[in-house]
Amino acid sequence: MDNTPELDKALSELKKITGMTLEVRTDTPEELENAMTQIRCLTLAYREKYNKNHFLQSLMTDSIPAYDIFERAARLHIEPEAQRILFLVETRNTLDDAVIEILKNLFPSQAKTYLVSMGEKSIVILRPRKASDTIEDINQIAHMIVDTLNMEALTHVQVAYSGSICNLLELPGAFKETSLALRVGKLFYSEQTVFPHNQLGIGRLIYQLPVSICENFLKEIFGSDIPNAFDEETTATINKFFQNNLNIAETSRQLHMHRNTLIYRLEQIEKRTGLDIRRFEDAMTFKIATMVINYLQTERNP
Amino acid sequence: MASLSLKGIQKVYPNGFQAVKDFNLDIDDREFIIFVGPSGCGKSTTLRMIAGLEDISGGTLEIDGKVMNDVEPKDRDIAMVFQNYALYPHMTVFDNMAFGLKLRKVPKDEIDKKVREAARILDLDKLLDRKPKALSGGQRQRVAMGRAIVRNPKVFLMDEPLSNLDAKLRVQMRIEISKLHENLNATIIYVTHDQTEAMTLGTRIVVMKDGIVQQVDTPQNLYNTPCNLFVAGFIGSPQMNFMDAVVNVAGNDVTLTVGEHVLKVPASKKKYLIDGGYDKKTVVLGIRPEDVHDSEAFIASSADSVIKSKIKVYELLGAEVYLYFDVEGTQMTARVNPRTTLRTGDDAVFALDMEKIHVFDKETELTILN
Repeated sequence: MDNTPELDKALSELKKITGMTLEVRTDTPEELENAMTQIRCLTLAYREKYNKNHFLQSLMTDSIPAYDIFERAARLHIEPEAQRILFLVETRNTLDDAVIEILKNLFPSQAKTYLVSMGEKSIVILRPRKASDTIEDINQIAHMIVDTLNMEALTHVQVAYSGSICNLLELPGAFKETSLALRVGKLFYSEQTVFPHNQLGIGRLIYQLPVSICENFLKEIFGSDIPNAFDEETTATINKFFQNNLNIAETSRQLHMHRNTLIYRLEQIEKRTGLDIRRFEDAMTFKIATMVINYLQTERNP
Repeated sequence: MASLSLKGIQKVYPNGFQAVKDFNLDIDDREFIIFVGPSGCGKSTTLRMIAGLEDISGGTLEIDGKVMNDVEPKDRDIAMVFQNYALYPHMTVFDNMAFGLKLRKVPKDEIDKKVREAARILDLDKLLDRKPKALSGGQRQRVAMGRAIVRNPKVFLMDEPLSNLDAKLRVQMRIEISKLHENLNATIIYVTHDQTEAMTLGTRIVVMKDGIVQQVDTPQNLYNTPCNLFVAGFIGSPQMNFMDAVVNVAGNDVTLTVGEHVLKVPASKKKYLIDGGYDKKTVVLGIRPEDVHDSEAFIASSADSVIKSKIKVYELLGAEVYLYFDVEGTQMTARVNPRTTLRTGDDAVFALDMEKIHVFDKETELTILN
């Protein structure tokens, strides 16, 4: 029987991973199917044992027991004790070859940087941290990744990054921390494209609260009438008022409205929510409540 | 190349933050337009919406008459140069410029032609075999530009591309970009927070603040006839001097009183203050530092616009001198000839060129005189 395109693809993948070239001769479709299964198993076994990408992927998702990490790392020539930073890159659309090629060329493998695909839209860049790298340098690298992918791949990306990782045992924790940074960042600071793991503010707190507690909190403030959303103008007014540290004169000036109009709008908000956001305490409650509403809306409609 | 039309463009992020509000602008083919404003004013967000990197929350974006709101960035025929560009470290200049085309499977001979043409325009022909490490900052910046040029796009979008360069190199690259615009005959939209960059590069400038367009005009008009206090203060360095003044209308004469100083408003400007009903009202008087004179001849011929103060700081910049002093508690700056005899601590007399004054409504901050 002639080789099918599927068999050719499986053979080519095996060659890519192991360097082995196999010739397959089959007489019946059953034999062909058997050969395909064996080749796939062989590929998988090699991938698990010798593929850095697979190893790091498993390590980050906590699928490798701690006692096995250093031994497998040594087999793959990955330095177990080295300062590294993990950048988690997420694209708006499915990761395409262009994004991966660009990242591969931005961080060539000689530099001991590992690119690990973590799903349809995510890729991890595990990069050594030089002794001279400051926090500002790390942040600059994250921005460089965003800008370069914007410019070259013409795609929207967001990047979160971890703190310093001293050895491979810390990698699963760093990945979790960075994934959380990305989720919290996208939810609460959606206007940004770079999310450092240690700058999530109150968003981190809210994100980690159980939904039931959030709902109880909103009920306590608004009763049964939880405002789903305010109209655009009211939202803009509230945001501007908060940006100006509850300063009525400055807010009305920036919104090009008379101060009495602004006061009237703020009173309408008070009527609707029971919160007088001219008072610091109510403003703080309101701010947290809107973040919680936002969070719940995203949780319910992911 | 292309013309663009932005009608009622808005950006509201899912967290409620409104970054851009009702942005309207028509950009002509081959125009070099600058978006300028302080950090967080929405200029980069607007550029990213044009690029397709951010969704447009409201309004319509057209490129060459076609609505582009939902078109993928790679199908908009644009090229971008951003602030934090990076070159591929192990590739030569040629390969760096060719890389984007290779990814899009452009034929080899076409890549070669495009890269060599871009290199010629950018004066990089002799550096094509070099690696980024062997290039200066300015040369690297030109390679980044080259990567955009080889795409041969309808529109170039540049977001603070010179911010990471030192001051000297920035000046040099400004000239290069200006030349590039002439050579490419391209439509360029350029974002910067630096008003000097905006003034020197743009054919038109869009001044933004808090997501709102404040004024769209030529550099000269923005400087000479700012529409509000923000534009007046933002454009020009050192910035325009501002002081509160009370308007007094007495028959045909109009004066502005700043503390003990009474300044006579010239005939060309009186009408606006009288017609606007500003008598006895406080307004904001603006005057550019170069319109505050210390020469005896000017003072002698401008007896109705004299102010007195003590020099707090004398700053010699070579071709000019900045004198800092207070008038009624407000710090002012005069840009004068280096031959001035005034020094720190001296009692000084200045005369304002009243034909060049700007007057703004204190409440709305809009100009009264235009």
